[in-house]
Amino acid sequence: MFHWLEKHPFFFAVGVFVTIAFAGLIEILPNFAEASRPVIGTKPYSTLELAGRNVYIKNSCNACHSQLIRPFKAETDRYGHYSLSGEYAYDRPFLWGSKRTGPDLMRVGNYRTTDWHENHMKDPEAVVPGSIMPAYPWMFTNKADIDTAYAEQLTVAQFFSVPYNKPVPMKDGSTEIVKMGNSVAEAHALALEEAKAVAADMKDQDVKDAVARGEIPEIVALIAYLNSLK
Amino acid sequence: MDIAEIQGYAYFFLTMFLAISLYAYIYHLYKNKKDATGVDYEEYSNMALNDDIDTTPVKSVSDEKEK
Amino acid sequence: MENRPLEYDYTVAKMFMLTTILLGIVGMSIGVFIAFELAFPGLNTVFGEGLAEYTNFSRLRPLHTDAVAYGFTISGIFATWFYVGQRVLKVSMAESKFLMFVGKLQFWLYVVGVAAAVVSLFLGYSTSKEYAEFEWPIDIAIVVIWVLWGVSIFGLIGIRREKSLYISVWYYIAAFLGVAMLYLFNNMEVPTMLATSPAGESAIGDWLHSVSMYAGTNDALVQWWFGHNAVAFLFTVPIIAMIYYFLPKESGQAIYSYKLSLLSFWGLMFVYLWAGGHHLLYSTVPDWMQTMGSIFSVILILPSWGSAINMLLTMKGEWQQVAASPLIKFMVLGSTFYMFSTLEGPIQAIKSVNAIAHFTDWIVGHVHDGVLGWVGFMIMAALYHMSPRVFKREIYSKSLMAAQFWIQTLGVVLYFTSMWIAGITQGMMWRAHDEFGNLAYSFIDTVTVLHPYYAIRGVGGLLYLVGFFMFAYNIYKTMTAGRAVEESELANKSPMGA
Repeated sequence: MFHWLEKHPFFFAVGVFVTIAFAGLIEILPNFAEASRPVIGTKPYSTLELAGRNVYIKNSCNACHSQLIRPFKAETDRYGHYSLSGEYAYDRPFLWGSKRTGPDLMRVGNYRTTDWHENHMKDPEAVVPGSIMPAYPWMFTNKADIDTAYAEQLTVAQFFSVPYNKPVPMKDGSTEIVKMGNSVAEAHALALEEAKAVAADMKDQDVKDAVARGEIPEIVALIAYLNSLK
Repeated sequence: MDIAEIQGYAYFFLTMFLAISLYAYIYHLYKNKKDATGVDYEEYSNMALNDDIDTTPVKSVSDEKEK
Repeated sequence: MENRPLEYDYTVAKMFMLTTILLGIVGMSIGVFIAFELAFPGLNTVFGEGLAEYTNFSRLRPLHTDAVAYGFTISGIFATWFYVGQRVLKVSMAESKFLMFVGKLQFWLYVVGVAAAVVSLFLGYSTSKEYAEFEWPIDIAIVVIWVLWGVSIFGLIGIRREKSLYISVWYYIAAFLGVAMLYLFNNMEVPTMLATSPAGESAIGDWLHSVSMYAGTNDALVQWWFGHNAVAFLFTVPIIAMIYYFLPKESGQAIYSYKLSLLSFWGLMFVYLWAGGHHLLYSTVPDWMQTMGSIFSVILILPSWGSAINMLLTMKGEWQQVAASPLIKFMVLGSTFYMFSTLEGPIQAIKSVNAIAHFTDWIVGHVHDGVLGWVGFMIMAALYHMSPRVFKREIYSKSLMAAQFWIQTLGVVLYFTSMWIAGITQGMMWRAHDEFGNLAYSFIDTVTVLHPYYAIRGVGGLLYLVGFFMFAYNIYKTMTAGRAVEESELANKSPMGA
């Protein structure tokens, strides 16, 4: 039997494939449905948050910051409650990261403010002396891509039944609705409304002016996203 | 019989199967020094050592066809 | 024409040798640059504030990993396949116009794919998944390139003269199948332009953007099943294919035990895929998967060392060659680094060790002692072996090669030792508590303490890069100024041993 396999390249290849493939089946499939069930209190990202999340990805923030709190005292002391599987139910892609050059950001919204982020993204060293994080000044001038974020919302709603415009259960027993626009124009209006709330807490006059004109700089979207991480 | 039980049985028999295959293969390699066509496994190393295009193959494809 | 004796045709191998060297320079230069950015953050803006968006650490990091993995390493794999494949199957590419065409097409598509990947990563198009950052059109291009490679492999096997497949061909086939499966499943994504708004608008926003088919924990599971095994099927399997050919060939010694090489092959194929779970220890994936990942990682020592010991024992009784030939030095030290990192990996996969090691620079150190010491050394050795035979010229300078070996070895040692210390230091500081049970250090304390190690790491990387430039120069001079030599003169001897 073994000789035969060694001399028939096609069946040999099939044999190799089976050998390497079934580990994946056994590891990944059994838990698939359960792992993607959201925990109570987890809601989908709004248009602006999603645009901010894309800014986060565009600049590979996940290369240095994790979003995964492990169940150790040292970690829960530093970052908050350890991560639960269902909290990531709306994360496409996941952003756990693999390296903590900077601290974990899983629940950064609990202990950092809009104001803090604004100063920090402009000049990390001034806020945290000794920081090796680069500054991100271009985020204050680049415009966030609301169109793409909206397209992403539509995609996940259509293909993966993410509950936009539907009541989502919250921890206190109430429900909340995350709104998604019916058209590009409506999506922009919703994002701008959110952006105004963020910009109100910011100091940068150019950013405030831009939002007043109806434009949304990347930094506003990013801060909206970071504030949503709780 | 729930899914966990099926997985349990599957796991057991799979492990048995793999363990038997592994030892059968080791036995096959080391007990039968030569393969079915009479080539010793160690001779296959010569495929790398004598690899000029005009050297004789360890086991030629055309030999097979002539038989 | 008809009377000319049949020869192996290395046209495609030469093309990929070129990209191996060029993309190696690109990937490693970026690596050294971002290593120094971590040590001296001022470098993030060294090309000016205006370009900082494209030259800061975060934008360049995926470019570094992808350039060395998909540029340098894959090119090296292709280059050696188009050399080794013909020889062990005893069939020339010149015998099939079709395969020659497919090979060249594969090369040019690869060049286009690399260019698109570089530009898109610079611009910030990324799916964020490590080693799978490319957006969907590039993913499709990669699949096409991969299929073409498959056509080459099985096409060449189809017209072979040697009935049995040499062990290297086994490993190349496994690399082909493994990467194909992993890459396809990990990159399942839906382009967002497919969505239609309730108002009837479609193709909204950026057409390059896509969302992953999997969410959260599942996405992580698929990603690390991929990520870990991309390491297996790019940095281990095809590199073993190379050493099983080039070490016996260069030293003139038969493989110590061909049977052991077969046994290790099946062992590696079976065990490797299970180990991906060790990237997710203490995460939100179920405990049984974490435990299984951990256990299989430890078992993985067996087939890995099976191959590594087999390589080292091939040199049995011929150790004077290691002293005499820098080329053999590269391969023997490569196998040693392979043994070393396949022991280090399982240690890091033990849960209690992982609790300290995960998220720290120790992991970065582990990756680099594998890729610099094993993958890099082996690919360079392969190219050194191929050059005299492909270009029909003697290697330009043996002493330059020896100098390169020692400089790069020093670079690797500086790299992994500094990263070990950095990683364990940081891991211990994160978890330290004072006598009242409060955290002993703020996060920034654990960053500033790493500065000297980051600087040492940068120097280590720089030494390796300098060595790589010496390699590139040596190959270039071999092509243009080496003494002409016929292959028959080389026999099984080292190019400089003759």
